[in-house]
Amino acid sequence: MNNSILHENLIFLNYEATDQLNLLNKFSGILYANGYVKNSYAQAVIKREQEFPTGLNTPGVKIAMPHTYPAHVLKSTILVATLKDPVTFKEMGNSDNNVNAQLVFMLAITDPKGHLSILSKLMSIFSDKEKLSDIYHTDNKMDMIKKLNKILF
Amino acid sequence: MKRIFVACGSGVATSQTVASKVQSMCEDENLDVSVEAVDFKSLENIIDQCDIYISIVSEKDNNWNVPTIKGIPFLTGIGMEEEFEKLKELIKK
Repeated sequence: MNNSILHENLIFLNYEATDQLNLLNKFSGILYANGYVKNSYAQAVIKREQEFPTGLNTPGVKIAMPHTYPAHVLKSTILVATLKDPVTFKEMGNSDNNVNAQLVFMLAITDPKGHLSILSKLMSIFSDKEKLSDIYHTDNKMDMIKKLNKILF
Repeated sequence: MKRIFVACGSGVATSQTVASKVQSMCEDENLDVSVEAVDFKSLENIIDQCDIYISIVSEKDNNWNVPTIKGIPFLTGIGMEEEFEKLKELIKK
């Protein structure tokens, strides 16, 4: 696995989104424009979020991890966004609950088994309040990539 | 050996991660298990092949006669010890 899974043009700091649909559409569009996903990704990710939401009420900064089936993905990447104001997602595993997400990891993964190590390492910080806070308060894109690469590889 | 299934919406990210976490926690305790990530859509056809089911979808989507454990605590760490204790009980049965 090389360290090209994160890209400066797919890091968004202090991003302003009006709501979940707006956020999913915007980010899907950016992934599409940069050749990471197929045109079908946006609808697929929106639909999957309704069926199987990805908000996580972590012990620290709340997270959403929108993603969908590999069939809609061309090249694997992770889009990372810190949100200026929280965006409401439903909670994974309990869609009656809301999650006010401030940190978004949008996954575009072609081969889940092949990326298991990266995904596991990414999710290993979801239980770490200090790390989440540190990631959320990063104010420079290259710093964000450096910090995350340290975690992922 | 107990067979454990972990299911999430697409079998892409979360189920794989939770499966590998649970597998390694069980290995640390010398528990003989096989933990597999499956996608929710195929679960219906294979649910009778597992002894324990770890769920990452809403409870109202679960309608199986298999002992069920919550998967999210293994991601967030919140309530993880409690769920792992339950899992260990089920494995030792």
